[in-house]
Amino acid sequence: MEERSYQRKPVVKIREMKDDYMKFELRNTDASVANALRRVMIAEVPTVAIDLVEIEVNSSVLNDEFIAHRLGLIPLTSERAMSMRFSRDCDACDGDGQCEYCSVEFHLRAKCVVDQTLDVTSKDLLSSDHTVVPVDFNEIAGDETSEQKGVMIVKLRRGQELRLRAIARKGIGKDHAKWSPAATVTFMYEPEININEDMMARLSLEDKQSIVESSPTKVFDIDPTTQQVVVVDAEAYTYDDEVIKKLESMGKTGLIDIKAKEDSFIFTVETTGAVKASQLVLNAIEILKQKLDAVRLSDDTVEADDQFGELGAHMRGG
Amino acid sequence: MDPQPEPVSYICGDCGTENTLKPGDVIQCRECGYRILYKKRTRRIVQYEAR
Repeated sequence: MEERSYQRKPVVKIREMKDDYMKFELRNTDASVANALRRVMIAEVPTVAIDLVEIEVNSSVLNDEFIAHRLGLIPLTSERAMSMRFSRDCDACDGDGQCEYCSVEFHLRAKCVVDQTLDVTSKDLLSSDHTVVPVDFNEIAGDETSEQKGVMIVKLRRGQELRLRAIARKGIGKDHAKWSPAATVTFMYEPEININEDMMARLSLEDKQSIVESSPTKVFDIDPTTQQVVVVDAEAYTYDDEVIKKLESMGKTGLIDIKAKEDSFIFTVETTGAVKASQLVLNAIEILKQKLDAVRLSDDTVEADDQFGELGAHMRGG
Repeated sequence: MDPQPEPVSYICGDCGTENTLKPGDVIQCRECGYRILYKKRTRRIVQYEAR
């Protein structure tokens, strides 16, 4: 028998794209691929985040480990993360912050000497590398008029001081959520809504109105000229079945038919600002490809384990 | 092992004077005899994982 190919040619169509937000369609593929892409975006696209904190002085109200934890969660610009090394794989160093391939050093010095409370924010973190800095949210929002505010770390009162050195390293969301570049990644099946025009034409205007109103989201409306029920926004449908139930109670089953297209997905991606949303999608596809290559090449050989040590371990459920 | 254990300083919970205690010493303030002493923060750098 001839071997059958299941290869498909997925297509991406971008609908909306901002620095930290993106909406796109993914067609001609199935849910397993769509979900793999979503999961890679959340847990496997690398970023840089503070991983080690050396505290010299801390007389603030927050304890050392509390501050260390807060520092870890601050998003850092991570465009370079894809080409960086994991510090555990870095032969040149031991991930001590001095190595340009795997780590970035930060310093923070703050002391309150006035009666007013001093806010210590991510803007007070001084980076040793201008490509890896705390994300500037005013820039993303296009908000230049407002006061420049970073992520709040701690507040100091008169006499309190905080002095520390922090080392940021490359990592992935699977190890710790602080490395996840994704705020939310969701996808939905594209709905396909068919209205039986003949059945609809026989309904009274009140019935049509009640059908339109039965949907909790604005999916249907009545055309003002033809007085027909029309679909105004198929994607507003949340698969809630309310319209179907309404039709059943009216004894008009089959008047409207709603199906989920099994090969068509609408993605919504929001990032933390560590990478641009568009770059997050591209990086996720790149990582997915690397993983597939590892599977193709592994073929249970020992050599493949050497070559793809880390990825091989991943594939075997590491 | 450390060649000589560094004396650790404590603050008295009653009068607030600083006391230095060595291992084996009685836990008591030298000025007022109060028996609750608070340990001062180390001057050394302390390291934490940001997790």
